[in-house]
Amino acid sequence: MLVKFNLNGLEKEVNVKANEYLLDTLRSIGVKSVKKGCNASSCGVCTVLLDDKPVLSCSILTVRVAGHKVETVESIQEEAAKLSECFSKEGADQCGYCNAAFALMVHALRKENPNPSAEEIKEYLKGNLCRCTGYQSQQKAIRAYLGGEEK
Amino acid sequence: MKANSYVSVGSWQEAYKLLKASPKNKIIGGGLWLKKGNAQVDTLIDLSRLNLKKIEDKGAYIEIGSMVSQRELEQSSLIKGLSNGVISEAVSQIMGPAFRNVATVGGSVYGKYGFSDLIAVLLGFEVELQFYPSKTMSLEEYLAQPGFYDGILTHIRIQKKDARAFFKKVCLTSLDYPILNICITKGEKYVVVVGSRPLVATRLTKTMEYLNNGGSDFKEAARIAATEIKVGDSIATKGEYRKELVKVYVERGLEEVNK
Repeated sequence: MLVKFNLNGLEKEVNVKANEYLLDTLRSIGVKSVKKGCNASSCGVCTVLLDDKPVLSCSILTVRVAGHKVETVESIQEEAAKLSECFSKEGADQCGYCNAAFALMVHALRKENPNPSAEEIKEYLKGNLCRCTGYQSQQKAIRAYLGGEEK
Repeated sequence: MKANSYVSVGSWQEAYKLLKASPKNKIIGGGLWLKKGNAQVDTLIDLSRLNLKKIEDKGAYIEIGSMVSQRELEQSSLIKGLSNGVISEAVSQIMGPAFRNVATVGGSVYGKYGFSDLIAVLLGFEVELQFYPSKTMSLEEYLAQPGFYDGILTHIRIQKKDARAFFKKVCLTSLDYPILNICITKGEKYVVVVGSRPLVATRLTKTMEYLNNGGSDFKEAARIAATEIKVGDSIATKGEYRKELVKVYVERGLEEVNK
């Protein structure tokens, strides 16, 4: 099936099977920043933005994004770079596999709630797993990035 | 999940005709559970274009389109305003926002999932399900029927009530399936619901009878609840432990709705 959608501001046309998932489509066309983790809707590393909302690309059929806007971390590079600096300062990275998804989630959180409390950050990001850091340093980095004092 | 074709239907008639054309044709809600299974689907029928993403105030009840996402349900001011926002609270505990942006209310309800927090909390209210072409039944009735109704779930209607409400999800880790969920509402009458037992949620009729006939000893109500509830073992825990949890949380819930 031919599917047309907007990817990071560019119109894309892809030929997919009825049961092909967006994660596989994106990676097959070279968007490797979107990672495959559990592939079972549980870890969050495949997160992308669909019409500005975070979704799990491992669980969205590509045919369903026809006519919609899909964004990956490439569309928020400047923001992701700043967040990365905060991660570095706090030692909040190790392997970096989950970073792109975290950056997209923080971007979405900021749009929904520009001044979140520590608890709200934690709640918003709870579906995104990181096997390396234990989350404390990430929380600090994200709070620093959002410019908030701990509430 | 395997699927040969996909159709985003433009009308109810088209959807229903396709659904009836083969038992291998399936309606897709959010598709999260369908993905996990080994279903061999011929045609996936997508209802996204049928204007089912609305939550509307209809006076005595709130009407929710079956394609409304869990996240939209959770964030709706109409839903937040219902019985101290218990439905929003329950839904907000399901995985993360990226998951809830995909999962749909219709998919969660139609699937009769034993672990469903949404079904457990909805059973605390009077809820009607509207199916295409022309069937309406209560959520309780739908859950009691074996299998799945072969119409298309279009809307879920929650009767408004001004109740105090309590919801508790018990799980081993926050992203795990619950090993128990409990909802208690107290409006004109008490409704006590236990789900993820691991069977689908159910109302505890004897407990409700005790409370609604003036019983005011919450320990006794909790004892009745633990006695009447049918629980089983699962990979996560034993039925015996579930009964103990019922005892504790029914009592706590009753205290909470009577504050």
